[in-house]
Amino acid sequence: MRKLILLCALACAGCGGHGAPPEPSPVAEANATHEYPSPAPPRQTATRPALGATAVITSFATAYINWSAETVSADMRSLAARSVGQARAAMTLAAAQTAGDYELQRGGIANSGTVEAVAPRSGHQHEYVVVTLESTTASDTTAYQGLKPAWHIALATVTEQRPGRWVVSGWQPEN
Amino acid sequence: MVGRRTGGGLALAGAIAAVVVAGLGVAVLALITSVFTPGGNACSAATGADAGAGAGIVLGPPGAGQLVGATEYGGPGDPSSGYVGSSGANLLQLPDSYAELGGGTFQTATAMGGLPYLTPLRITWGDRSAVAYKRDIGLGGGPIDGLPRVLDLWWELAGQLGIPYEDGLWSGPVKIERPPQTGAGNVLGQASSSEAAPELIATPTAEQDPAACAPEAVEGVPVTTADRAQLLPNGLAAAPADAPLAVRQVIAAGNQIVGKPYVYGGGHGLALSTIAPGYDCSSSVEHLLYGGGLLPVDYDAPSGTLESFGEPRPGEWVTLYANADHVFMYVAGLRWDTHNAAGADDGSTGIGWHPLIRSDAGFVARHPAGL
Repeated sequence: MRKLILLCALACAGCGGHGAPPEPSPVAEANATHEYPSPAPPRQTATRPALGATAVITSFATAYINWSAETVSADMRSLAARSVGQARAAMTLAAAQTAGDYELQRGGIANSGTVEAVAPRSGHQHEYVVVTLESTTASDTTAYQGLKPAWHIALATVTEQRPGRWVVSGWQPEN
Repeated sequence: MVGRRTGGGLALAGAIAAVVVAGLGVAVLALITSVFTPGGNACSAATGADAGAGAGIVLGPPGAGQLVGATEYGGPGDPSSGYVGSSGANLLQLPDSYAELGGGTFQTATAMGGLPYLTPLRITWGDRSAVAYKRDIGLGGGPIDGLPRVLDLWWELAGQLGIPYEDGLWSGPVKIERPPQTGAGNVLGQASSSEAAPELIATPTAEQDPAACAPEAVEGVPVTTADRAQLLPNGLAAAPADAPLAVRQVIAAGNQIVGKPYVYGGGHGLALSTIAPGYDCSSSVEHLLYGGGLLPVDYDAPSGTLESFGEPRPGEWVTLYANADHVFMYVAGLRWDTHNAAGADDGSTGIGWHPLIRSDAGFVARHPAGL
């Protein structure tokens, strides 16, 4: 009889929630966090990882600032393919928006420039400050006529995709 | 030699004033500079005798031009101005220069809101225009042809515009506007600085609109004591001081996009909180209504859908006129539209505020509940 009581006590002790908790349902998690959990995205790979961070940023920036109304959408698609993360999202968005941008087409707007400097951002690993000198022109409107080339700054972030091979993962023009 | 711009023909007066100021001491100088205090309440200062000299302007967004008073300075007939700008720049080597007027320092010369050094402006006189850069400042003076005197043109710049050289004494109206932002980040709408809406400064001049400096001016929206919204010379609108907050917000949202080009389909597919490169009738009206909290940020509909917006019939403050082809509206009596529908004097041909009413035949009148 004592053995039976002991077994019962041991069995009852397991009812108190000890052990691994049950997996919360997505709906329960959404109710708790106000955000429906999404599965982790597949790992992104870029088409042209480069040997040096500075080299990949210079190449990316050069392509970003040199385009015409006719090429800009394809250029941004190409940049999306060779970047990951936020940079890829931003380039994908730019490609989509410029594909149907009537104003760009109608004005014959083009942008050109040179990358003047790429420098590591102090205190921020894998972040770089990119300085460009750019001109925006328009073949079918006078809006940009007479404007001198202007200095611009962007913040770039790189990720090491394979040992020694870097891709742009963040791109934020600041002005 | 550092040139201190007094504004063309006022060079001698400026020199005399400088002596007087020196004689009367710091108190008088403080009085003069207080008129131009950057970021301060320009309205309260621009009264009485100071109103003319203290009158400033609000530069609209790129492409929104306005007439202002200008003078020329420098050159062989105006040796007192020298050739070195207040910034130290040699203006002979930088002929595309202008000076912002209103004070004796870069902090106090704010007749155009205190533009940052090297701010480009497109300046048009007659049929000629040129882009010039701010490299200088000056005191300025009274209105020119009824327009606030806000900038001084380096004489070589004036010459490029075809303005006859009058030994630094020329004065007259010119049209100024911000050129569009350049660079890939800005054109593609990805630059951090291009995300923010154009800053509005509540500094309409007492001369342009005596009622526009009511103490209730809030959130950068010009305010008028008139019972209707007022169209300002720079294309922006001033809200009636007693208008409900939502109405003032609608007007503020309109002021954000005044001068944007009309683009059929423009602005659609974007969050209404976004400042789009161009708008059509329905997207622009929806941007304004969103600004007043009258539509959700993701609302996106053609003009025909707005035939069922809100409640039927005209409202007290806001009335939409919609049909399947077009929509426009009145906000506190001022028309927001995309067309030059009421004739040659209708105002802007693009999207913006229009001073004249237009026929509402064929349109359904709707209004937001309570407004």
